[in-house]
Amino acid sequence: MTYMRSPNSFTGEDMLEISCHGSPVVVRRIIDLVLKEGGQLAGAGEFSLRALSHGKLDLSQAEAIRDLINAQTEAAARQAVRQLNGELSNKLQPLKQILIEVIVRLESAVEFVEDDLPALQSKELAAKLRSLALELDQMAATFDVGHWLRSGAKVTIAGRPNVGKSSLFNSLLRRDRAIVTHFPGTTRDTLSETINIRGIPVSLTDTAGVRKTPDEIETIGIERAQMAIADADLVLFVVDGTSGLTEDDHLIFRKLGASKFLLVVNKLDQPGFASRYPQFEPAKSVSVSALRGDGLEELCEAAIDELGANNFEAGDLLVTDARHYDLLCKSSEQIGEAICLLEREATEELVLVGLNNALTLLGAITGETTSNDILSQIFATFCIGK
Amino acid sequence: MYFDETFDVVVIGAGHAGCEAASAAARLGAKTALVTINLDLIAQMSCNPAIGGIAKGHLVREIDALGGVMGRVIDRTGIQFRLLNRSRGPAVQSPRAQADRALYRREMRRVLEATPDLNLRQGVVVDLIVKERSVVGIEMQDTRRFGAAAVVVATGTFLNGLVHTGRRSYSAGRAGEPASIELAEALRRQGFPVMRLKTGTPPRLDGRTIDWSKFEPQPPDEKPVPFSFATDRIEQKQLQCYIGYTNASVHRSIGEHIGESPLYSGKIKGIGPRYCPSIEDKVVKFAGKDRHQLFLEPEGHDTNEIYLNGFSTSLPAELQLELLRKIPGLEETLIIRPGYAIEYDAVDPRELQPSLQTQRIRGLFHAGQINGTTGYEEAACQGLIAGINAAQFVTGKAEFRLARSESYIGVLLDDLITQGVDEPYRIFTSRAEHRLSLRYDNADQRLAKYGKELGLVGDWDWERFNARQDRLSELRGVLEGTRIKRSDAAYTAVRQLLGTDLGDSFTLNQLARRQGVTLETVRSLLPLALRDSASDEELASALADSLYAGYIESQKSTLARINQHDEARIPATMDFRQLSGLSHEMVDRLERARPLTFGQARKIPGLTPAALATLLVHLKSHQKAA
Repeated sequence: MTYMRSPNSFTGEDMLEISCHGSPVVVRRIIDLVLKEGGQLAGAGEFSLRALSHGKLDLSQAEAIRDLINAQTEAAARQAVRQLNGELSNKLQPLKQILIEVIVRLESAVEFVEDDLPALQSKELAAKLRSLALELDQMAATFDVGHWLRSGAKVTIAGRPNVGKSSLFNSLLRRDRAIVTHFPGTTRDTLSETINIRGIPVSLTDTAGVRKTPDEIETIGIERAQMAIADADLVLFVVDGTSGLTEDDHLIFRKLGASKFLLVVNKLDQPGFASRYPQFEPAKSVSVSALRGDGLEELCEAAIDELGANNFEAGDLLVTDARHYDLLCKSSEQIGEAICLLEREATEELVLVGLNNALTLLGAITGETTSNDILSQIFATFCIGK
Repeated sequence: MYFDETFDVVVIGAGHAGCEAASAAARLGAKTALVTINLDLIAQMSCNPAIGGIAKGHLVREIDALGGVMGRVIDRTGIQFRLLNRSRGPAVQSPRAQADRALYRREMRRVLEATPDLNLRQGVVVDLIVKERSVVGIEMQDTRRFGAAAVVVATGTFLNGLVHTGRRSYSAGRAGEPASIELAEALRRQGFPVMRLKTGTPPRLDGRTIDWSKFEPQPPDEKPVPFSFATDRIEQKQLQCYIGYTNASVHRSIGEHIGESPLYSGKIKGIGPRYCPSIEDKVVKFAGKDRHQLFLEPEGHDTNEIYLNGFSTSLPAELQLELLRKIPGLEETLIIRPGYAIEYDAVDPRELQPSLQTQRIRGLFHAGQINGTTGYEEAACQGLIAGINAAQFVTGKAEFRLARSESYIGVLLDDLITQGVDEPYRIFTSRAEHRLSLRYDNADQRLAKYGKELGLVGDWDWERFNARQDRLSELRGVLEGTRIKRSDAAYTAVRQLLGTDLGDSFTLNQLARRQGVTLETVRSLLPLALRDSASDEELASALADSLYAGYIESQKSTLARINQHDEARIPATMDFRQLSGLSHEMVDRLERARPLTFGQARKIPGLTPAALATLLVHLKSHQKAA
């Protein structure tokens, strides 16, 4: 047994850790014993919550724990762990410090007009702010990739019957999940599985082939397919490279509307294969053989490209949370307004509105900076006081 | 129990807090006694002879708008008025005035003595008489006992005061005046958590021994801006102050003798204000600075005493003289009163309710330096609030509070009560998140209504206020409504004046925001009647409303973004004890306030961010489950 005395434990409370043999029976009996003696089972997330209420975790770290538990790929889990360690917050700290320095200069000019302070250099302050805004924008831009890591991407396979959608689905999954026959209309319902494409959790959906049909069940399936298309972040629009385009292909193309899609030309391994379909340009196309697995690498690559998730390295810290993204964008915007005002030689209290707004917004990620913190820094920087 | 006299309200201490408290309580109909150790030193300025300054001037204007007395008294006794930050925006401009120290005391005493129901009593209070956690009176050193339903403690630096000059220290409330020691013990006995704070003051010089030609004069404003909304003209003759500097020789000498300063020898334990450092601190902490600014301020019309602002010190008196004589212009100077440091007791303000009534003892109020603040203005506004609430308490009326969003006074009170203090607290404009709305020029617009409702603002002032508001609203209408087009004669005139293109048309508000446009330019475009009737201050005030409107909006939307969970509802059935990990204290505060939304919970004083985060997570998971 390991005793962790408050406040030096995960939750900040007194904690006792029991290590025992891993057999379920032994674990069960220990738990039963504890419960008999008046113990209670922890609710979901209870430890995190207790840590939160004792100030051992901040809200964004608690959110990271949730992300970690929900993570579906290694890369997503790695990002959540980095959040949990407060990396985003740490990375923002020096940026926030620059912002605070500028605020300190302006605030001290406002508050201590009678003190012998160095004159404000508004050009220098504007330059500092400009590079700060740029860095914030760069961090915000990582959300293009980051948001896929956290929430995953929805990719829907669509096409007319018997072009090989389910075969493509199975080969991307690397197992026979969907039933494949040579009868058109075999797939009646939509079918979803999660796969990992370059670290991004992708929810891949196989759909019924879209065509005009009197079959009532098949019609319901087609309606569902259309919903899956509308809902997708990316559609893999599959056509048969050996049969030429049909009326149904054009029907589907029209249904794609504004959806982002890749043209997947299947049956690369069959005679009479043609890879170019200028009717559907400028959509990118990839030739594959779903049966043999040819071209799948290229397909995954193209899909990641289309999603805009290609440009991240394993070492990058990514913004994965929409709230953080929003806060970064807005704070950069506020700093931008302050720069404009500085350049127009507006008075300090106006410039400070945008800067203080930016500080408040960043504070929602890194923890609040109070007016007391600013004042402390003024007193540490300048000799104030008549 | 026998009482020599019985009052509704007894105010202990006649400094800046005590005077406002007694005046307000008496004018609200409470039979009031103002008890002080020395009646001849009512409203004494213990430190610099000046009122106002950035943010402090805002406080004085707010006191005035609510019906307090400080603004009127300084307007009648001020000898150098200056509006600070004139080159900056209206929100951060603030009036400041040097006072004739003796005149200020005399005028305040006259005002207090002219107040019906207000009784001055001299004596040293030694104990509070408390029955079942309610205050019922006070006891004095001369054995008199006064009954009182409410007591306001406004003791300034007198509570257990200890003065330091060099190696010598002695018990005193100010140099040469006795400290209040038994009362300090009485408060400790009642269980109040007491801390030690420190402040200091510079030497006063004989003006006849100064070579004034070596200093740079600082003239008063040509058009003095008064503090009180009731004042039309400043009658006192206006004087100059002078600016000078310390030098390397002074600094070297301080460095050599630093061990003789009680601040550095370890004798002083109390915490001093960082924004009002002693000259020792300035030299040690900012060793790279080769000079520090000094202000030579006259103490009044009929005195040779000169206040040496910027040279607060507790070094030995003979060393003070030696240092001063190293400054050009002070080679021959003589010290009238040496500078000194003083340590005193303050009570943790987190003990207080927003009314400034203590939670520990009913009917007991604390105001001023006892709450850990510094500054006459900070003290006076607390005195006003405590005096009002003492009177309200006695008559069983609702307590009077001010919000952060409507006043600097609200900011100050909220900061004190929720954050406590770790050094003497001074107001700054940056403490007010609603800085752009809380201007010195619109204090009446924000607060006069409360003064009127309470009964502190009289009919004459109220009519004056309404007339001013009418003029302002007419002005606002004209500034926004007057559109000057390219075809107008005025357009050409303005374009010639500014030398830039002005677009197809502009309103006067838009014009005022341009660089190089003065009040006079705007005034010249007003309709004739307004051109003559509106004062500069009124015109500036109306323009400021329009200048800041967009910024105030942008700030609001930022806060809304941060506080996006404010609308989350808290079920009426919620049992806060069930929130894992919340301390009893947090549960208690939540139970007492019973907030209906997260936004309301966020505003409960004393709730920690961690507790709020816990509550929020619970609400969110509750929502999901539902």
